[in-house]
Amino acid sequence: MVDIDSLRRDWVGKEFHRAEYTIGQQQVLDYAASCGDTDPRYSDPSNPDFEAHPTFIGCLGNTRDAMTPQDFPGLGRGRSIDGGKSVEIHGPIRPGDRLSARSEIADIYAKTGRSGTMLFIVHRLNFFNQNEEPVATVDLRQIKAVED
Amino acid sequence: MILDLHTHSVRSDDGRAKVDNYCQWIRKKELPLDGFVLTEHRQYDDTSDYRDLEDHYGLLILKASEVETDYGHVLVFGVNEDLTNAFDFARVDNHIGDVLSAARRCGAVAAPCHPGRPNVGLFAHYERKGRIEGVDLVEIYNGGSRPGEDEISEAEAQRFGYRGFGGSDSHIVSRIGYAATEFDEPVANIDDLVSALRGGRCHARTFR
Repeated sequence: MVDIDSLRRDWVGKEFHRAEYTIGQQQVLDYAASCGDTDPRYSDPSNPDFEAHPTFIGCLGNTRDAMTPQDFPGLGRGRSIDGGKSVEIHGPIRPGDRLSARSEIADIYAKTGRSGTMLFIVHRLNFFNQNEEPVATVDLRQIKAVED
Repeated sequence: MILDLHTHSVRSDDGRAKVDNYCQWIRKKELPLDGFVLTEHRQYDDTSDYRDLEDHYGLLILKASEVETDYGHVLVFGVNEDLTNAFDFARVDNHIGDVLSAARRCGAVAAPCHPGRPNVGLFAHYERKGRIEGVDLVEIYNGGSRPGEDEISEAEAQRFGYRGFGGSDSHIVSRIGYAATEFDEPVANIDDLVSALRGGRCHARTFR
């Protein structure tokens, strides 16, 4: 069995990666179109409240370096599966914004089920704009089977 | 009086149901429930206050916990500060003997849930590791059981002389009430529930 307490102590809450993104108008429009959302706030640049669709931020930062620290231990058996993504919006994201994505492991926990013990690793991306204002938090859950 | 003794809300990491929506569903579908117990995974929620919902919908909403042990998952009714300090609710490797004895010592009731389920059910562990002392009540009807699992739970509970109760184990709104427990007398609060469970003044019901 994996030592959860030790893993948590070593990894949870420590920033390990940063990446910068400049938000383009076309990518904001393309995202709204792909969602089928015709609300002018997300699809019309002339709208005074034009901004990125709330789930747009989920497209950014999905890289291996941003997800997992380079020296993070290999855990469990086999491949992991996607445990879902949650997005919390703190402020608007608009074309021209320069976002900083800061990565951390937010939580590591285990649970047991029909198929045995599963380890949950919560990868968190904290997004800030050019004024250092938090604009979004994105949590991605990775699930791994571990030996009982 | 019928209560669903095993439900999860969005406070559980895999729960997708808001408590308000459970209440709406029970009333809209005219389910034969008088209330339900929230049994969040690996934690005890001592902060949420559902009294307004209880008043609005005329339902009893109680709080308990589902903890994980070396003999599978266990529901704990009547959680108090003494009990939350007695063992770590967040761990998945609690010794069931510690959980059962701590519950008894702190005035609570601990009862294995879905005991017929592979890996996380009591009776699967009995097969591998033998019987343990201190169990007298198990969830014989679980709304999340696959075909055959409740049958194992019921038969094995009878064989070992355990009393049974029911709960839906719902994680989404539409599953609440799939299984429940009928009480012989009114239950108004968690103390009444613990007393009725301990005294065996209830029986399991399934509505699947």
